Formats: sequence, structure tokens, C-alpha cells
Amino acid sequence: MNKAEIERKLAGAHGWEGKNRLLVQLARDLPPLPTSELNDANRIVGCESTAWLTIGWQQAQIQLAADSESRIVKGLLVLLIAAYQGKTRTEIQAFDCEAWLISLGLTRFLSASRGNGVKAIIGKIYDAIGEAQH
Amino acid sequence: MFDAYALRAQFPLLARTPALIYLDNAATTQKPLQVLDAERHFYETANANVHRGSHRLAVAATDAFENARSSVAHFLNARSSNEIVFTRGATEAINLVAHSWGAANLQAGDEILLSTLEHHANIVPWQMLATRCGAIIKPIQLLRDGSLDLEHFHSLLSNKTKLVGLTHISNAIGSELPIAELINSAHHYGAKVLVDGAQAVAHKIIDVQALNADFYVFSSHKAYGPTGIGALWARSEILSSMPPWQGGGEMIERVSFSQTSYAEAPARFEAGTPAIAQTIGFAAALDWLQAQDRVAIAQHEHLLRLQLELGLSQIEGIRLIGNALQKGPVVSMAFTHAHPYDVAQFLDAREIAVRVGNHCAQPLLASLGLSGTLRASFAAYNTHNDIDTLLAALSETLELLA
Repeated sequence: MNKAEIERKLAGAHGWEGKNRLLVQLARDLPPLPTSELNDANRIVGCESTAWLTIGWQQAQIQLAADSESRIVKGLLVLLIAAYQGKTRTEIQAFDCEAWLISLGLTRFLSASRGNGVKAIIGKIYDAIGEAQH
Repeated sequence: MFDAYALRAQFPLLARTPALIYLDNAATTQKPLQVLDAERHFYETANANVHRGSHRLAVAATDAFENARSSVAHFLNARSSNEIVFTRGATEAINLVAHSWGAANLQAGDEILLSTLEHHANIVPWQMLATRCGAIIKPIQLLRDGSLDLEHFHSLLSNKTKLVGLTHISNAIGSELPIAELINSAHHYGAKVLVDGAQAVAHKIIDVQALNADFYVFSSHKAYGPTGIGALWARSEILSSMPPWQGGGEMIERVSFSQTSYAEAPARFEAGTPAIAQTIGFAAALDWLQAQDRVAIAQHEHLLRLQLELGLSQIEGIRLIGNALQKGPVVSMAFTHAHPYDVAQFLDAREIAVRVGNHCAQPLLASLGLSGTLRASFAAYNTHNDIDTLLAALSETLELLA
């Protein structure tokens, strides 16, 4: 699913409950990570749920794959992947992901409370750009 | 007749958000107006630093602060207010005991017994002590229902046991331990017992003399008071023998560059300017609680728990975690097909506040083979309608996530 499609769907989802339902639906689009990738190196710890993220580069374009125990977090991962997949370092740096999530009405998932780790996932993607530059 | 709605009206946050169903009381309770007023009143009428001024405001502040100590002593039925040390909360109180009493009394090979139910706050300070002094930590196992395995406890006790750390009520699954009985057994071996009362004080009448404990710790904010303040109660003969742990003003008798002598307990353990207004709010909360019909509150909270547990047993896909016979007002659950975080998100969308995760009790969750649970925990202002609403929301959410 592409970014524009996700934006259209989220705009049509009413209230928190509607957005939660949509995230659960979107979660179905996320192919599971192979068990071997569900390791500590790829683990992103939220206090309330765990996610895993793998980052690779193909011809200077980012390749993301992710998984979570939680379907809502999986839905959020679908969003993040739609936003970042195949982008170059410059494109990633130019994109304000938090502002985008806020515009989609998902501010509550960006809290510093360590519930779901969305901030940590975005942070890990930025870290990867830094490492790729060296 | 106990009226939870009338009680709820005394809590400004709850009065402001009538739709809110707040079931995260084991994390922190809401605060009654009386507590908010007490802090404000202090700042408006008696604000000064304590214990060091002779002007009238300083005297008023010191009197209010020391009266708060008496309120805490009275609340716990301590023999004297000198047995009460103010701390930032239960966590700091346990760290104080581990640093001061622990370092002075434990050596390599000594054993510390901790129940598997313990919150990280009653594990990590002991691990830090054990690393420093070479003591050994032994976990006390649980039975399948989440109660303490008494046989295992007795088998671990020996003359090497120096300290037993026990939660009064488990924050994660609600099990209530038979504290008095356990203390009695530990004392036969000369061991001291520290009770983490963080989850008990809001719900049970605490009598430290009847329990015959050595240390009892709790936080104000889980018992209707402000955050950032709590208390350590320690038997006076133990407290007076303990060395200081933090140095500074207030805790000294006399200071020179060649030698410093320390104040008597409890001042010896209260270096620096204390959280004065919070302490006064803390006492106001305990006074407020003691003015309520506490037996009726306990009965009400018990019925809320039974109502929820019965309701859960009728919803497909939910497993109650923790079936101990004696429980505090805490209900933990796991789901067959849904992740607790997802369930909590749908509940939150309906203004139902619950907690999910490992509840700062990872060894306990590991022993149960779980990575997390969803926990509903009650206070006096929760109503039977809250439980009905939660049950309906759980039922619909699980259908949606099936």
C-alpha cells in the first residue's frame, strides 16, 4: 500500500476507535519477519509491546522489514514502511515523519511514554542513515 | 451505606472527566481535593524551610512537617514518629535500607530471600547490595495460583538468611501474602523482614506492631497522596543502629573538616531540604483515608474484583492471571488471540485506562511464561458501572481482534 492510499484511508477513519480498527486492518499487509530475524539485534523495546526492524540498503535506497507482537504496532509499521521504503538518505532526512503522523491524527502514538516504540523505530532509521554515511 | 459516587465527587480530576474509567490505580491513584488544598494551604500560609529557622514561619513549617510524621506513624500504628523516615517513595526507602542496614549487616555468603512476586524495586537494590558484599539472592517460588509456595519458603530459611523481602500485595497479579506468618517464620532464624506495602496501604489497615515487621515501606501516591514522597518505617532499635546513607544538611549533629557526627534517626536519614509540601499532602491523604469507612472501602473493592473476575470467566479468550485465595484489588489477564497492548488501545479509545506490560515484575512474568498482561486495578472511587463498561468493552474488542 502506498503513502497516498494510507493517507486517504486514515482520513476516512473516524475517532480513535476507527483509527485503531484501520491499523489492525493494515497489519494484515505486513509480511512476517522470518523467525531468525526476531533477535535482540533487531528488537525495539517498548514497555508494552515489542517490535523488530531490519534495515538494509540496495543501490543507496533503504530496505525496511518489520514485525511486532501487536497488531496496532504492525499497522504503524506498515505506515512507516510506506513512508520510507526505497528512499535515499537525502529523502529520508528531508521527510518529517513525526509531523506526518501528527497530520494523520496519530499523535498519541508519539508519546515519550514507552508504550509502543514508534519514536524508537523512527530513531533507528535515522541512526541507520548516519551509519550509512560513514 | 458506602457510596462510591459520592467519594468520586471529592476527586477534581474525576469530577472534570465524568466519562473516564480509571482502572490504573496500582500505578497511581487520583487525589482528593483535601490533598490538593493541603499543599496549596501550606504554600499560602506556612512556607519556609524546616528544622533550621526560629522565625515564626519556619516554626509553623516545621510543626506542619513533623505533624505529618506523626500522621504517618499513627496510620501505621508505629510506636513512635521517630520510626518514620521520609523518602521519595517505596523505591528510595528500599534503597535506603539496602545501602545502610544492608551494607552494615550483610557479608559474603549471607542470603537474601525475595518472593518471585516482587516489583523490580524490591529486587534490584538487593542485587546491587549482593554484588557489593557477596551476599546471595534466593527467589521464593510461587504456587500455580500465584500465591507464595510456603513449603519452598520454609526450605530456604536457614541461619544464613539475613533478610527476607516480601511484597504485601503483588502489583502485577494481586496476590496478598500472609505477612505476619512469614515474618514469624523468618524471625525464628534471626532474619529481618522488609515488607513492600506500596500496593497495600490504600486498601488495608496496616498495623506494623501486629505484623511484627522490621521494615515497612510505601509510597504516598498510591494511597491518594502526592508523588515524590513516601515513607520507611523501621523498628526503632534497628533504625537507631543504622549508619547514614546520604550526607548533607539536616542529617548532622556537628560538622568540622576533621570530624562529623550524625543526628539521631530519623533526621540522620533525611539529608537536605525535604519535599515539605508533598509531605504535608501525604499526611492529608492518610488523614483523609482514615476518615473514610475503611472496612466498607475494602469490601467495596473486593466486590469490584469479584464482579470483574466473574465477568471475565464468561468471555471467551480471556485467562485470569493470579487466582490466589487472598488478593488485593488487582486483576491481571492474558488473551488467547489478542496482544494486551492492542486491547488496551481499544479500551483507551473508550476512555478506559488500564495498564499493560510486565508491570516492573519481569521475573514474575517470566515464571508465568508470559511477556505481559493487561491489568485493571481499583480504588475506592471505582463503581460497579465501571466494571460493567470494562467487561462490555473487552468483549467487543476481543471479537474485533479475533
